[in-house]
Amino acid sequence: MSPSRRLDALRACGIEFVAGVPCSYLKRFFAGCLEMPPTAFLPAVREDHAVAACVGAWLGGRRALAAMQNSGLGYCLEVLTSLHLIYGVPLPLVVSDRGAPGDYEEHLVLGQRTRGLLELFGIPWREARHGDEEADAAWVVSTAEEQRRPAALLVGKEADS
Amino acid sequence: MTRAEAVALVLSLLADEDIVVAADGAITREAFRAHDRQRTFYMLGSMGQVASIALGLAMTRLERVVALDGDGNLLMGLGGLAMVGGLKPPNLYHLVLDNGCYATTGGQPALSRQVDLADVAAGAGYRWARRCFDAQHVREAMEAWLGAGGPALLDVAIGAGDPDPAPRVPLTPERMAERVRAALASD
Repeated sequence: MSPSRRLDALRACGIEFVAGVPCSYLKRFFAGCLEMPPTAFLPAVREDHAVAACVGAWLGGRRALAAMQNSGLGYCLEVLTSLHLIYGVPLPLVVSDRGAPGDYEEHLVLGQRTRGLLELFGIPWREARHGDEEADAAWVVSTAEEQRRPAALLVGKEADS
Repeated sequence: MTRAEAVALVLSLLADEDIVVAADGAITREAFRAHDRQRTFYMLGSMGQVASIALGLAMTRLERVVALDGDGNLLMGLGGLAMVGGLKPPNLYHLVLDNGCYATTGGQPALSRQVDLADVAAGAGYRWARRCFDAQHVREAMEAWLGAGGPALLDVAIGAGDPDPAPRVPLTPERMAERVRAALASD
């Protein structure tokens, strides 16, 4: 598998630590993560633990990012609302965008409400596009850091680059 | 042994450069009252994430990272314990203050009397994991724990009562985070 242009762009924007749970829409991205040094990539067992570990890495001085399937946002809500959003912790997120019409049933309910869910909790989002990796990365990192909150890149199947 | 005694004891055994993550609820309030320090992160919510936050710190820092956890808190986030056991950060030290109940919410029983958390940690891959339910031996158990190779977990029994509850930590959450970050950035 060729290198992940999306991960490389995020690292070029200063991301030094990634924690996440894989999604089949993020195969290339996670293949890149597995090439990172062992103290720079945390293969989390659930998404809430990934975003919590990113807080630890950020306290320790590293710029941290969490990656996950959009279904994992449900697990994250308690942590995002009682940790990141009250302590003012920046957190760029790479979130797969499952749940389009025709996707499997288990992805539809949350998948069709992903944008609404993020907006309900005041989390800015942007649809990632293949070819725009550098601009996507600059947007998600700068938005999270300027607003001191999570910000999400929504990655559709064709944008796993 | 009360929670206050156990928290004061462990904080007295740590080095100045050690980083502490204090579990949300009574443990964070007790840690502030016993010995406020720049390198203690006070959790307010996100129950179940003590080990995960500590792991993120341990992966990025060389100092010892000490997680002050509760039994109910750890049971809520056992996946975090699995990540620590699997990834084996040598600088992570995990202390469980085990009162067998959810004291903050009224003393409802927790399953930690049925589930041996030291056995769970050993099974997950911690290099050292012990249980000390004998108040006479807590100090020596803590010294052995801090002298062991990490990741190391010590499960210590504390009383369920709270005769003199500590007040809330008088810092904003933003200040709690900035203080730790600034202290670590100054190295």
